[in-house]
Amino acid sequence: MDQITNPRIDIQSLTRRLPSGGRELTILDRIDLAIGPGEFVAVLGPSGSGKSTLLALMAGLDRPTSGEIRIDGEPIQDLSEDGLALLRRRKIGFVFQSFQLLGNLTARENVLLPMELLGLSDAPARATELLAAVGLQDRGHHYPSQLSGGEQQRVALARAFATRPAILLADEPTGNLDGATGRKILEILTGLWRSEGTTLVLVTHDPAVAALADRRIHLLDGRIEKEETAAKLQPAEVLS
Amino acid sequence: MSPRFFWNTLIRESRGARGRLAFFVACLSVGVAAVVAVAGMSASLDEGVRSEARQLLAADLAIEGRRPVPPGLDLAKAGLAGAQRTDLKEMVTVVLAKTSQVVELRVVQGEYPFYGNLELRPRRPLSELLGPESVVVGSELLSNLGLRQGDTLRVGGAPFRIAGVVLSEPDRVSVSFTIGPRVFMSAAGLARTQLEGRGSRVGHRTLIKLPPSFSAEQLATAKERLEKALADSTFYRIETYKEAQPALRNSIDRVDRFLGLVALLSLFVGGIGVAQSVRAWLASRLDAIAVLKCLGMRPREIFPLYLGQTALLGLAGSLVGIVLGSAVQLALPSLFPDLIPAELVRPWQPTALLRGLGLGVGVAVLFSLPSLSTVLRVPPARVLRRDAEPLPSHRWATAATLIVLGTGIWAMATAQSRSLDLGSRFTAGVVLVTAVLAGAALLISWMVRRLPRESLPGRVWMRHGLAALARPGAGTVSAIVALGLGVLVVLGMSLVERRLSNQLATAIPPDAPSAFLIDIQPAQWQGVHEILRRQGASRVDSVPVIMARVSAIDGRAVEQLAAQAEARRKKQEEEKPEDREGARRWALTREQRLTYMKELPADNRIVEGKLWSDPKRAEVSVEKEFADDLGLKLGSKIRFDVQGVPLELTVTSLRTVDWQTFGINFFLVVEPGVLEKAPQLRLAATRLPRGSEQKVQDALAAAYPNVTLIRVREVLEKISGVLARIGVGIRFLGGFTVLAGIAILGGAVSAGSARRGREVALLKTLGMTRPGVAGAFAVEYALIGLVAGLIGAAGATVLAYMVVTRGFELPWELQAWPVAVALGGAVLLAVGAGLAASARALERRPIEVLRAE
Repeated sequence: MDQITNPRIDIQSLTRRLPSGGRELTILDRIDLAIGPGEFVAVLGPSGSGKSTLLALMAGLDRPTSGEIRIDGEPIQDLSEDGLALLRRRKIGFVFQSFQLLGNLTARENVLLPMELLGLSDAPARATELLAAVGLQDRGHHYPSQLSGGEQQRVALARAFATRPAILLADEPTGNLDGATGRKILEILTGLWRSEGTTLVLVTHDPAVAALADRRIHLLDGRIEKEETAAKLQPAEVLS
Repeated sequence: MSPRFFWNTLIRESRGARGRLAFFVACLSVGVAAVVAVAGMSASLDEGVRSEARQLLAADLAIEGRRPVPPGLDLAKAGLAGAQRTDLKEMVTVVLAKTSQVVELRVVQGEYPFYGNLELRPRRPLSELLGPESVVVGSELLSNLGLRQGDTLRVGGAPFRIAGVVLSEPDRVSVSFTIGPRVFMSAAGLARTQLEGRGSRVGHRTLIKLPPSFSAEQLATAKERLEKALADSTFYRIETYKEAQPALRNSIDRVDRFLGLVALLSLFVGGIGVAQSVRAWLASRLDAIAVLKCLGMRPREIFPLYLGQTALLGLAGSLVGIVLGSAVQLALPSLFPDLIPAELVRPWQPTALLRGLGLGVGVAVLFSLPSLSTVLRVPPARVLRRDAEPLPSHRWATAATLIVLGTGIWAMATAQSRSLDLGSRFTAGVVLVTAVLAGAALLISWMVRRLPRESLPGRVWMRHGLAALARPGAGTVSAIVALGLGVLVVLGMSLVERRLSNQLATAIPPDAPSAFLIDIQPAQWQGVHEILRRQGASRVDSVPVIMARVSAIDGRAVEQLAAQAEARRKKQEEEKPEDREGARRWALTREQRLTYMKELPADNRIVEGKLWSDPKRAEVSVEKEFADDLGLKLGSKIRFDVQGVPLELTVTSLRTVDWQTFGINFFLVVEPGVLEKAPQLRLAATRLPRGSEQKVQDALAAAYPNVTLIRVREVLEKISGVLARIGVGIRFLGGFTVLAGIAILGGAVSAGSARRGREVALLKTLGMTRPGVAGAFAVEYALIGLVAGLIGAAGATVLAYMVVTRGFELPWELQAWPVAVALGGAVLLAVGAGLAASARALERRPIEVLRAE
């Protein structure tokens, strides 16, 4: 694997343990990983391999037991909760398996929220642009409960890219969707990734989805089993 | 985060809270309604008294005393040129027609009233209706004696024609405690009677109307000039209309403080429901909070968001409470006509509304703080993993929350009672009681959890009900605490009021006198005694009474001592329960009643010194508390003015008196051989056969019209009646606390309605019938009610015990019946509220619930 200079995400000797029934469970064990700017990395592994935990640590949603995480060269593991929140506000977007839209807000308001947090002046125009990009230009006034699963995930994608984040983290974005809808979501996701130049880290248990990525990291029992950069597939070829 | 963004996010986030609104509003509004009703009524009455002050005094200034204001008092010389003066004399006496009646006689010399409406029939001025041979009487007197206008009745032995009827007086409010109906008489009429003999109990009042040149601001100046112009001003009390009805206004103030705290308690109970509601609401928002943190919102930005929503809900609840409280306030005069003078009520009281609003929002925010602080601990990792550990809490956060909560409660209690001392005691009491209730509820829950339910006798639904009580997180503790507090307040007050009423009803020992006779001239005594004997009196005690004034104590003039006491009293910033300086001034300046006897009655006990032990000096024995008021000790020398004759007595003994025997007792008893030749009256106490009091009164009124018979039982019954009405009023207010407890119980049940629906579906699927399920719920709620009732009743008994024994210094008596009623009531209310809240869950078919899963 080529050495990445100036990695966007740099993980060194990352370990995460959790208490479980009187013992300690090792979720991640001395992970070393570097992800370059604009790279698309997929993290694969069976259930319980530590994929989501790795994502959570990258985003500052969780704290490692030991090791270091740097985002654009700055260590984040010792930041305060406020500091981590500001990091996410400025640099990180999310797409979740369960969409995680705010049910009290309309689709448009969900997309606006991260931009309003940053105080972006072009938020309304950007929200319109993104909703159009995900094909929901006429559904902005609907609440999540009025949208289908696929539509909700599209709103989530629009929200994730709203602030043009340096990093986008996706946790099983098609996990709750049927095949056709999943393909559509992947198409939009990769399309936005290309157009925005974001560093994308996608967690999946599906090798076909992982095949869209530049690089695939295989996790097993909290360790990197292997890394590969095999030939990429196109979204249309996935899950066909 | 900009203010605009904060406000927009707050409004958006609140969309999800509207479902919680009903319960939150219900809990808060009940307490706010109670606060507004009490504050509004007190402020309303106070404003009424102040705005009607001139009418209530019927003058600008009034001079009161036991001696008449000198007729030669020159108002012009006193700097009050142009002022008008009217003299009044007031006394309690007996009038006689076919039968007799105790009345309150007012003798008027001059124009009356200066202000206010004296409504008479016929509509003519009082001065025209009153003559040497005519009186004007209250309508109640006519109906009591079966008389009409124009008839004749005897007053003080002289006949008078009833020239008119009093329909209303400006200075007699509808709820005043009166001995008897009103009778107006002229000074010339009084001269025809035998009422104003030496030593008779006559109160003197001079009313002054200031000239138009005097503004309201110069009232204090006018008062000062009068005090300077009056010789012996120490023996008079001068009040301006601005200070009018001090007893009434003090009562209003006391009621406002005391009932205000009771109302505040119901608001605190509502706060428990608010806390519960916020906890349940936040539990449903955990995912959203995690997402907001994920998107980059900092904890310090999320906390105020939810705090703001709580404040908005608090505002909504308070507004509903204000409307309810205002409606209650308007209804109170018709609900309690004997307690609240409707003519003084001024309904629009914005300060009361603001107080309700401030306290309501304050309670909503304060009681929500512990739940709101959990927002800080929501882990953002929850977006990926539901079971993510909460963020560690800061030690200071928990402590700070509790300190803010405790300080807030104390601040509200202090503001409501306007007393640091009372506010602090109330806060300590509430915290202690809540802690005990919560601890007891947890203990019971723990004990039930450990019961071997499988081997318990009884049906399945009974065991299921017990299991539900023991379930962690069932909201049982807060429901028990809230309902328990309600039971404590209502039952506690009921026990105190019943004890006091019982005490009054049974206060009279079996051999106590049933009547007192006052103002008996010495020459009349034999004849009076004969009347009593003929009517079958089984006991007659009689003592001489000599009127005197204290002129000096240990060489210091009483004017100097009284002035010092008055100055100290005015310096007291906070009203103390024992107004020692006020009592001292009264003791020094009042007209003293002396008696003489060789041996003290059995209910007197010498505690210091020895009775009649110094043959060289004229001795006096003084009641201990009275001695403290006068600043006397053994060996003190008191100089008396016995109707113009100076007399010095030495204190040689101090004693305690058991006043509850209702025997004839005096503060000052002089040794025999000192006062036998002084002008004196006799005072008698007698025990009459039941039902013979009216005959005795009639006979006395015919033969000795200056003698007044005071029926002990009647007076006690009147006081008992007032106490009972007050008790009803207080229990009405305590009902707000119970209501709040019910609302909380209903809310706790509703909050668990989803789980309850699943439970019902499963139980029905397993074969339990609907009555069986309802029975299980009933057992659970009955147990909640029983536990709350037991703990509340125990607390109420302890509270009542402390109030009765320490506050009123009465012996304690356990009253089982009210306790049983409270327990039964708590159980029934809990079952009723719980089943009502569970009705929907009971009706749902199992398949609906199971399919929705």
